[in-house]
Amino acid sequence: MLLFREGSREAFEELFSRHHRAVVRFAWRMTGDPSAAEEAAQEIFLRIARAASTYRPTAKFTTWMYTVARRTTLNYLRDTKEDGEKVPILSEGEGEGGVYPVQLPGPDDRNPEQVVWEAQLTERFRTALGELPEGYRAAFVLNRGDGLSYEEVAHVLGVTVQAVKTRIFRAREMLLSRLSKDVSA
Amino acid sequence: MGCRDIRETISAFVDGEASPEETASVRGHLASCERCRVLERQMRAVGAGVRQVRGSVSDGFRDAVFSRLEAEGALPPGKKPFPAVWRWAAVPLAAAAGLGLFLLTSREAARAPVPQGPVAARVEMSAPVASVPGSPVPGPAATPAVPTVSPRGDAAALSTEDREMLALLDILEDPAALDADGDAEGMDLLAPGASTDSPNSPRGGRSGA
Repeated sequence: MLLFREGSREAFEELFSRHHRAVVRFAWRMTGDPSAAEEAAQEIFLRIARAASTYRPTAKFTTWMYTVARRTTLNYLRDTKEDGEKVPILSEGEGEGGVYPVQLPGPDDRNPEQVVWEAQLTERFRTALGELPEGYRAAFVLNRGDGLSYEEVAHVLGVTVQAVKTRIFRAREMLLSRLSKDVSA
Repeated sequence: MGCRDIRETISAFVDGEASPEETASVRGHLASCERCRVLERQMRAVGAGVRQVRGSVSDGFRDAVFSRLEAEGALPPGKKPFPAVWRWAAVPLAAAAGLGLFLLTSREAARAPVPQGPVAARVEMSAPVASVPGSPVPGPAATPAVPTVSPRGDAAALSTEDREMLALLDILEDPAALDADGDAEGMDLLAPGASTDSPNSPRGGRSGA
């Protein structure tokens, strides 16, 4: 990033090469929509490039990059009228005991329908992810999807580590609850 | 600590983020609570599930990004591989270099046969670069950028590790089926006594640029 700031195109190409997959994946998981994900991913790189002149290596680049990425996708979600609170936090009685009757078709290497199973599973997760409040979704995606630690997630989201812990737990509860409803529906 | 109170800590435990005290507490609870053991496995499974949500972007994604940046003046224009003066000299120079290389390798070949292993390895390493579609700057000045942005959401991308993890969502409903399939050993790996460096622990990829 510092080399790019000094005018090196090659530095930006290297940066793009290293991180574009992560950026696209993150945008996809946050928006759940192909065209929105591509637009958001483009915008993320534009913002990264524009911010080069003011970039200061006070934190890891990836943490900074995900901060830009999250803010960008958040703008997209707001533009599409997502208010971040589409799914209420589970009430105390819901998911009693914390065990959810999730039943998904099991994979079997010898079964030719395995590909279909995985595609269906992916689609269910995509839908369930999209119904999480944005703050929970971002925390869960950054940690489980992108491998950031709780501390790094906290840095990206601008919240405490304890808040990250709670958000990820809530996200898990909601995902399990949602996936179990899929089955019973 | 009751089940309701410890569930959030189990979530952190699954992510490898619980403190040593919390880890000991969770392990102790899981050892005596079948219900929370089931929950712990389900928590691991949804973590594997999110990694399956992957999209794709069009083949023109890279070009679109770079075009917009160039239009804004945020990115210096791409350099030509050679200055104009040297461009005409490139062909004879390359021919001379090729001839020299041929003569050199011919002499080496006469002394001893070339081992096959390293040759094959070079081919494998160079193949992806050679086959990059739409590489913007061919030749020696080509950058390491590989604009094949295609993290596909196809099912074939599901790793064995993740597939086994996700299967728990179903298998847990019928433990007998698990034993019948001979997967009990795999389940043992996920037992509460297992260490937190499970397949679902946070991954790498945290390197900076």
